[in-house]
Amino acid sequence: MASVSLRNLTKRWGSFVGVDNQSIDIADREFLVLLGPSGCGKTTTMRMIAGLEEPTDGEIWIGDQLVNDALPKDRDVAMVFQNYGLYPHMTVYDNIAYPLKVRDTPKENIAPRVQRAAEQVELSGFLDRKPKELSGGQRQRVALARAIVRTPQLFLMDEPLSNLDAKLRVSMRAELKHLSRELKITTVYVTHDQIEAMTLADRVAVMKDGVIQQLGTPDEIYDDPQNLFVAGFIGSPAMNLVNGSIANGVFSSADGTPMVNIDADDCSSVTLGVRADDVTAIDKGQGFTDAVVYAYENTGENTLLTVLCGGQRIIVRGDRHLRKEQDEVIGITLNAANLYLFDPESGLRLRDTGVRDNRSR
Amino acid sequence: MRDRTLKYLLVAPAVLVVFATTIWPLIESLRLSFTVGRLNKPGSLDQYIGWENYTWAFLYEPAFWNSVTVTAIYTVLTVVLTTLFALALALLLVPGGRFRSGVQTLLILPFAMSPALIGVSFRFMFNPEFGLFDALFGVMIPPLADVSWLADPVLAFAVCVMADVWGWIPFLTLVLIGGLASIPRETLEAAQVDGASGWRVFRDITLPQLAPVLAVVIILKTIFSLKTFDQIFMLTNGGPGTATQTLSHYIYFNGMKYGQIGYASSVAWLMVIPMIFLTYAYARYVFRKN
Repeated sequence: MASVSLRNLTKRWGSFVGVDNQSIDIADREFLVLLGPSGCGKTTTMRMIAGLEEPTDGEIWIGDQLVNDALPKDRDVAMVFQNYGLYPHMTVYDNIAYPLKVRDTPKENIAPRVQRAAEQVELSGFLDRKPKELSGGQRQRVALARAIVRTPQLFLMDEPLSNLDAKLRVSMRAELKHLSRELKITTVYVTHDQIEAMTLADRVAVMKDGVIQQLGTPDEIYDDPQNLFVAGFIGSPAMNLVNGSIANGVFSSADGTPMVNIDADDCSSVTLGVRADDVTAIDKGQGFTDAVVYAYENTGENTLLTVLCGGQRIIVRGDRHLRKEQDEVIGITLNAANLYLFDPESGLRLRDTGVRDNRSR
Repeated sequence: MRDRTLKYLLVAPAVLVVFATTIWPLIESLRLSFTVGRLNKPGSLDQYIGWENYTWAFLYEPAFWNSVTVTAIYTVLTVVLTTLFALALALLLVPGGRFRSGVQTLLILPFAMSPALIGVSFRFMFNPEFGLFDALFGVMIPPLADVSWLADPVLAFAVCVMADVWGWIPFLTLVLIGGLASIPRETLEAAQVDGASGWRVFRDITLPQLAPVLAVVIILKTIFSLKTFDQIFMLTNGGPGTATQTLSHYIYFNGMKYGQIGYASSVAWLMVIPMIFLTYAYARYVFRKN
């Protein structure tokens, strides 16, 4: 077990910058998730930690060891790949046993450890099969078992659930979480799925264009986004972002429709962020402003209303009994206690321009 | 005209050509192998003597056995050497490997040359008076300066093997590059992270996954090596003596030069036997279901 420290890590291919001068300290036993859209540098970061990619610049420390020049085999990490990376010509047993065999583990120690790893991922009955005879979820378990059969200093997981169907993904997610709390090994986990990140992580690093946008606990990332990108990336549905201006304590959208009272300095150009849960849909004329229903969606456990207000779409989450028709006019009210303001130019959160920031503690 | 008739009519010319150039000579050579079959003896092409040509080859012809031995050694050496070199080159040239694919284009060059041309050019390059290799070896390894390459039985054989390996490496390399490229990269990376050294990744992960392609390559090359004729014909013409006389060359000499077409046909049919096994093995690998 070990802490991991990335210092000014950079990866460039020619003029393309994959990871741009990033530093993170990952504590021992921490579960860190690198979250971001594809091409943001999260997988590259992980591959550099594994030793599969050479950093252009910067340092990688695992424990108290500088591993920049160490081969993957000498880094004492275990990795789960997106496409599993199972050895197709080996049985499940041999796949799981391979990390032990190749590290010259005494033969009598291999079998019990493979058995135990297989039990932990509920694969005991499949040890004689070849990977191609298994379902996607089972293959994923083999990959997991192969990772946990040793006790590495560090787990690396590269979108391990993204090839599974939606239902399996949810159950495997819970299993992963359970397993990680049980094993207590430092883990770096790469995903583009913000729900995976929120549910699994001790801390999340949200990345974009090779730069970490925000590093924090899931609560911090959700409640206190530092910029427009994080605000728009985290949460399902994503946070509503409305361009407009503030005058005399009222925020109006770009076309001049007043939307909410806000205790902030006047500002000619600002982006207002509000989560779907903080918008209430009521009858026409009863809310702060009126809006037209653009789409009504019933997900079963709740309802989502997309409304047109001030020329922009806003998503409202209602309870499961809410019923509205398309093109119906309704009233909406934004919860003034849970609003975020951003600078539309830089994307940065506006905290010190006289805005009463409701979320900062 | 109905479609049914038309489609057979359209295929007919091709079938006729194949029949005239392949099937009929095959049947005819089988028939001739049971005749006296001497080109200078009228009527002997229809003079049947049963299995005598075959027994003659086995019992009374040291030259036949010589050519069998030459062919066997030649085949083993060329197959092993070509496969090893091609595998090494393929590992270097595979996408994501150490060299860019521009080199691959250069690589195909020797394969674009006809075997006869390779034979001629190698003979030229080993010419004692103005041969490039002859001079080069002389400068690099002075004791070899006065060696007359194609006059020495062992060296002439070595030159033949060298020319063949040189000519076949490109094709095998390209096939193996294809095989290597189809191995999922994640399996190789997983093995590295699991703790395997470069050699163990190759032995445990790359080689087993490459095995089907490797088998096809080895079988194909064995077939081609067994058939070798044109290159030998141009390079050494079987000599010195019969040191480099392969079976094909032996068959050609007996049939065309000595006019013993019946006997040559019987030896040719003897050569068919290993070919059938190899072709069967090849077909099994190429057309197998999984």
